Amino acid sequence: MDWLLLVYKIPREPTAGRVYVWRKLKQLGAIAIQDAVWVLPATRRTRENFQWLAAEVTELGGESSLFTAQDVLGAQNESLREQFAAPIREAYNEILAALKRSKPDLEVLSKRYQKVKLKDYFQCPLGEKVRQRLLAAQGSE
Amino acid sequence: MKWVTWQNVGVDRIGCAWLIRKFIDSKAKFQFIPPGTLEIHEGAEPFDVPGVRLSHHQGHCSFHAFLREYKLTDPVLHRIARMIDEADTVQEVQVETVAPGLDFICEGIRLVSPDDATALDRGAMIYDALYALLAAEPKIS
Repeated sequence: MDWLLLVYKIPREPTAGRVYVWRKLKQLGAIAIQDAVWVLPATRRTRENFQWLAAEVTELGGESSLFTAQDVLGAQNESLREQFAAPIREAYNEILAALKRSKPDLEVLSKRYQKVKLKDYFQCPLGEKVRQRLLAAQGSE
Repeated sequence: MKWVTWQNVGVDRIGCAWLIRKFIDSKAKFQFIPPGTLEIHEGAEPFDVPGVRLSHHQGHCSFHAFLREYKLTDPVLHRIARMIDEADTVQEVQVETVAPGLDFICEGIRLVSPDDATALDRGAMIYDALYALLAAEPKIS
């Protein structure tokens, strides 16, 4: 597994710029290691996303570096994967729980599923389960 | 005129090339350089490469930059710009249902095309179709 590492520094003021970049990182599902390096699994899409975010940091008066990296310690790799996988699993489980309640809002839940899936970099098996349940739930009131 | 961009075109660049040929420079020639490089010959205009004029700015895609820089005011083009924004960049708000599909199709076009030039030619049809459809939509006044 290859990883993308983004390191950046952005002026403290105005705060809007800092918040903007931070929110985008969160939206991408990136994880901060030691509050210093932002990590994403390397895919064509994440590479593109990080590349443009780095350009935006520059535009906001900051500096950034973007690297591809391989993890040397296997175990570390596992725990990093887990950090990406855990919130995804949780989000899928929440949807599954909501589907069990009476009269679930299928429109809202399917939208939520789509959003989670975008950040599901390690193909969590629960994703397929959610998909199947959503499809089965339609028209079954 | 010669227009330069990185190899491996996607939704934004296929859109930009279509826009250039259709609205800016009907005799446009495109050149593709390796990603990460910025060796641009004199007289050639780079686009969708980080840090240049016709690129991502303030969270918007390069297609958007073309509309601004060339003062193109056609509302249909601005609608397409929004779709590419949502397809190609991280946006907090999503209002264009077409966006993820457009992105997928463009990526697929590159995959089945022997080279970038062919991908631009083929992709142009998608944007022709999109433009025609949007232009035919009833106007809300």
